[in-house]
Amino acid sequence: MPKAEIKEEIEVADARVYELGYLLVPTITDENIGAVYTNLKDLIQDFGGAIIIDEMPKMTPLNYSMLKVVSNIRNKFNNAYFGWIKFEMDTEKVLELKKKLDLDPNLIRFLIIKTVRENTIATKRFVGRDTYRKRPAYTKREGAVPVEINKEEIDKEIDALAAV
Amino acid sequence: MKQDYFSANNIKYIDYKDIEILKKFLNPNGKIMNHKRTGVTAKNQRQLTSAVKRARFLGLLPFVAK
Repeated sequence: MPKAEIKEEIEVADARVYELGYLLVPTITDENIGAVYTNLKDLIQDFGGAIIIDEMPKMTPLNYSMLKVVSNIRNKFNNAYFGWIKFEMDTEKVLELKKKLDLDPNLIRFLIIKTVRENTIATKRFVGRDTYRKRPAYTKREGAVPVEINKEEIDKEIDALAAV
Repeated sequence: MKQDYFSANNIKYIDYKDIEILKKFLNPNGKIMNHKRTGVTAKNQRQLTSAVKRARFLGLLPFVAK
């Protein structure tokens, strides 16, 4: 019993949070993309990974064309399905997962990185507010210039208007 | 940008998928801006650099923009 307990503790200590970002071949049809996506998740779970958050692959244009050689044919891609999965896994198992993914014909590229469990995407929260803040600052500066007019001159002008 | 953008917006981890944020720190050619121009702390500038490089690898950002 004690031996088993120690083993479990070690396994928990070795687990780390990783993220797999991947690009899928655009030739997959929309109907099949769900199946490929679930296969990837199943693969991670087969290696003892616990999925934390993930996102469905979405078609995105690539900023530069990528090459992938499949059975001695060079394929050029300008679009791809981009998706990501955040998961917790043993440090040693991740290398095995990488070797397995290297052989996957559906993937153009993938990236496994160490990350944190918390949500790391900040775009939706901040980008809108930041741009909104900048605008009033400019209008204030423009509005601040006419304040430096002589008060006496204004008084005279008012008096002149009142006299008429 | 005088103050550090990431600490001002309470961003602790710079994600490579936040392309809209990363684009603020690229010049028109797609190069990463100098820390003197970005005003980001040294620690965040290192995180920013690795995030941009990851995004470039996955085709989310360009290596060279014309």
